[in-house]
Amino acid sequence: MHFDQAQIPSPPWPLRPGAACAVRLLRLASRLAGLILAFGLTACAATQTERLLEQPDGLPPRAEIAEVPFFPQERYYCGPAALAMVLAWSGLPVTAEDLVPQVYTPGREGSLRSDILGGSRRNGRLAVEVGRLDALLAELAAGHPVLVFQNLGLDLLPQWHFAVAVGYDLSAGTIILHSGTEARRELPLATFERTWRRGDFWALTVLAPDRLPVTAGQRDVVEAAAGLERAGRLSEAETAYATALGRWPESHTAVMGLGNTRYAAEDALGAEAAYRRAIELRPDSPSAWNNLAYALKALGRRSEAVSAAQRAVAFGGAQTTRYRDSLREIMDDGP
Amino acid sequence: MTFFDRFCRALAMPLALVVLFVSLPINVSQAALVTTDQVLAETQSEADRERVLAFLAREDVRQQISSLGVDPDEAARRVQSLSDAEIAQIVDQMDQDPAGQGVVVFLVATILIIFLILIITDLIGVTDVFPFINPIGGR
Repeated sequence: MHFDQAQIPSPPWPLRPGAACAVRLLRLASRLAGLILAFGLTACAATQTERLLEQPDGLPPRAEIAEVPFFPQERYYCGPAALAMVLAWSGLPVTAEDLVPQVYTPGREGSLRSDILGGSRRNGRLAVEVGRLDALLAELAAGHPVLVFQNLGLDLLPQWHFAVAVGYDLSAGTIILHSGTEARRELPLATFERTWRRGDFWALTVLAPDRLPVTAGQRDVVEAAAGLERAGRLSEAETAYATALGRWPESHTAVMGLGNTRYAAEDALGAEAAYRRAIELRPDSPSAWNNLAYALKALGRRSEAVSAAQRAVAFGGAQTTRYRDSLREIMDDGP
Repeated sequence: MTFFDRFCRALAMPLALVVLFVSLPINVSQAALVTTDQVLAETQSEADRERVLAFLAREDVRQQISSLGVDPDEAARRVQSLSDAEIAQIVDQMDQDPAGQGVVVFLVATILIIFLILIITDLIGVTDVFPFINPIGGR
């Protein structure tokens, strides 16, 4: 639960010195009350832990991934260290030092979550967020370490921290973390949940693109693959889309992504096959017809390209203008 | 001529030009491949709805909904009738509270409100969703 401290606004009329002092005192008191309340509220509920320990829902009682290397954190480099651990586990030869220029922000003396996400993608890894404790433990049970973001302090006095969860033990009620300068630190699950809650339940699986997080939905995976595509890691993005299609053969967006990465890699024939599959899944998808037209044009099959572009216009809906532009471009291109 | 008149006269011509240029139709061709990000954006509302339905299918959530006196299957059916904006609101709640107790209350409240609105609109004869409700004042 997030607790906003009460703010006492300044009165609009000018204050005598004594009155100003009283207002300041009131503000201080409200701040203190806020601090005490924040303590009380955050000290109570660890609801996900309670539920998990009562009903583990098919989770194995304990799990640990022994192969995750440990890189101790130096100075404020918990972000680079945590990312280096999961990247090295996934098979990339990196150290925390290598990642400092990519993910560390000197002005903030730390790393931002978006930097960690971007850093994973720039290194060609599929980064998917995990937002629930049961999902986090399920990933660990599946052998996937999870990079976690915690606030070790309080909401009002935050101390942000990145660590890597490598295992858990339900009978002892603990989670095992590579954290800071300590490898295999065992922390009560309830304490972890509270620090993680104050970090907005943010965690990340960072996997080679031929592996998928077991708990992620189709869209989360496709979005992560699109992130790889955006970062210019085309071959990894293509692998990720293909892997996603292995699990969700009916995913229109994944097959569109597959076509787009192939088209960008100048594999027009492969792109054509993907777009045709997208059309098979959704015959009235204007984006699939539009992109098929470009693949056919690249293959020099102009008349087919024109008729595909015409289909895109026909199904265009609100976007008709854009598909009309595509049709014009393809027709103008000459035979 | 006052200073103000001269000032207005000096401004008139440049302003007229600006208005003319701004109102000219901008003709930039949008011809291009549709990127994966655009495909994703187009299907956002559909994906949100799927997420809410998946949430409703969870056993613990079904139990919570039952304990609030709503049939979980009926709740799922009603989600289909929520607008995209309402679904987006529920998804927003789900992101803030991954454990989900707050979401269940929010969801049930939204569903009940829709239910109430439909009862009222049925009563005044605008809609005819529930066959057991006859409009006030006959037909």
